[in-house]
Amino acid sequence: MALLEVRDLRTYFATREGDVKAVDGVSFDVESGKTLSIVGESGCGKSVTALSIMGLIPKPPARIVSGSISFEGKDLTELKESELENLRGNEIAMIFQDPMTSLNPTLTIGTQITESLRRHLGLSSEEAKKRAVELLEEVRIPRAQNRLNDYPHRYSGGMRQRVMIAIALSCNPKLLIADEPTTALDVTVQAGVLDLLEELREEHQMAIILITHDMGVVAEAADDVVVMYAGQVVEQASALELFDNPEHPYTEALLGALPSLEGESGRQARLISIPGRPPDLLDPPSACRFAPRCPYANLEDYCTVEQPELRELRPGHWVRSAHPAGERAAVTV
Amino acid sequence: MVLNPQQEEFRERVALRQEGGVTAGAPVRQTSLWKDAWHRYRANKAALIAAALFIVLLLYVTLAPILSPYDPYAVDFAQAYLPISWSHPLGTDQYGRDLFTRVALGGRVSIGIGFAATIAIMGIGIVYGSVSGFLGGRVDNALMRFLDALYGLPYLPFAIIVTQLFQTVNFWVMVIALTIASWFTAARVVRGQIMSLKENDYVRAAHAVGARWYRVLGRHLLPNTLGVLIVFVFLELPGVILGEAFLSFIGLGINPPQASWGSLAQDGRDVYLSHPSMILIPSIAIAWLILCAFFIADGLRDALDPRTRET
Repeated sequence: MALLEVRDLRTYFATREGDVKAVDGVSFDVESGKTLSIVGESGCGKSVTALSIMGLIPKPPARIVSGSISFEGKDLTELKESELENLRGNEIAMIFQDPMTSLNPTLTIGTQITESLRRHLGLSSEEAKKRAVELLEEVRIPRAQNRLNDYPHRYSGGMRQRVMIAIALSCNPKLLIADEPTTALDVTVQAGVLDLLEELREEHQMAIILITHDMGVVAEAADDVVVMYAGQVVEQASALELFDNPEHPYTEALLGALPSLEGESGRQARLISIPGRPPDLLDPPSACRFAPRCPYANLEDYCTVEQPELRELRPGHWVRSAHPAGERAAVTV
Repeated sequence: MVLNPQQEEFRERVALRQEGGVTAGAPVRQTSLWKDAWHRYRANKAALIAAALFIVLLLYVTLAPILSPYDPYAVDFAQAYLPISWSHPLGTDQYGRDLFTRVALGGRVSIGIGFAATIAIMGIGIVYGSVSGFLGGRVDNALMRFLDALYGLPYLPFAIIVTQLFQTVNFWVMVIALTIASWFTAARVVRGQIMSLKENDYVRAAHAVGARWYRVLGRHLLPNTLGVLIVFVFLELPGVILGEAFLSFIGLGINPPQASWGSLAQDGRDVYLSHPSMILIPSIAIAWLILCAFFIADGLRDALDPRTRET
């Protein structure tokens, strides 16, 4: 049994025009001690998936319509709010995209780190402070002892994100959800934060769900990858397998949209973008959601009428497309 | 090789570090939001003077009655309507009581009622507004529509009715009268603040570490409204003090022989032609206090608003 098993998760947002199906039947497993990366463009449901796991989706308007999120055998969707509160920050922790706004400007760094320690581990104020210094040292804040009483405005963006990581690690969670942890940071700082996460993952033996839209980040840190498009999983494989043999046309296009620094042709070539826009999730088409933008779909195909199922092309490599790269080659040759 | 001063300084630092002495970089200056705020407040000269004058006024109303040789309630008609002199810096009233002492005592009542009523207004406003803003949804809707209905109530008639409900009008009756129909705006301000603050990432982050609702509200949301609330106190205070003065002036204020600035002005109204100082002095005191409060509010707003931070 995996640490976290998400099965057919559907999270809808009620609006005046009807339900927006932000997450529409997502399933994946997170093994303990491994990093799973969820990739996709803005609005594809990555963050909503993460917030659904944490039980932090804004209710109303959002609600989990169906599906299960099983963490160590407990279904998180059926827990009471108070039980979820005991789990959050303790067993499952989360770090957010923007470190500049994720710390409370009116509380000292020390107060914010000890909050979770005192809440979940019941440490006294003195013990919590000692532990907070250790945590800050662990995420490599220099002169941690002196900086405990500083307010967040005296910390730089990278330091704040490391403080957020320290807070997330404070109770030794089994699962860490990182929602675009490096998007708001400089490239050099990004690398540092990713290295730190990787190191801490090994040290603490925790699983990480790394949400990102940056294939570079995936390459840097992920063991397994889930590619999401329009609220659904379109491809799932180990990171190596995905980069070696991308099957879904969308994944191929995502990889094709990356700038290449090597080779004369790479430097000369324009970036390839994906034409069109993702479908409206208020009333998604019954056909394959990528069909309108897919270079391989044509009107005779079943995929323009009904949705292809997620199928296992190779062991561990799942794809939701009528035209995966492997089969395409076989047909044209 | 010639080194410029900057290079020399760097070399020295490296040398120091290699000897295992000081760690690199300048020492971190410890500071707090309040220190920064005070720094910015000090830059506003008008606010600084207003604060000083406010403190002078507070010292006067607390110390003058204690140090005064006169009994503020003893009637002596031989001493009535004495002009301003060294022994009576503000003259005497129609009963021969020393006005310097009486105005200070009246100031205690006026300022005391002003602050007490403002604190009561803020207290009710914070509880009502934060519950409404924090819970949101249907609860918020119900509470706010109720508040809309109350908003239609005029404040003075309500204050007058309260003063008439009690046999004697003392300090606390005045506080109730001035609070009962004045807390609506405070509740709205707090609600608006909470509503916008609760969308912040750090509130979500607090939920993400498992903080319970009362901790999120009390520790993460309300302290962030503090700046706005402190400014609001100094904006609300003049209105409340004017309200008290008005009620006392029309004879509905605190019962004699106690006095407030409003009732002292009322005493002077009958003799404003022959003894103008009797109405002028309490009026100046009221104006003094209100102007101070406005300038202090202005200075505090600049000092506590993080967007004007340039230190």
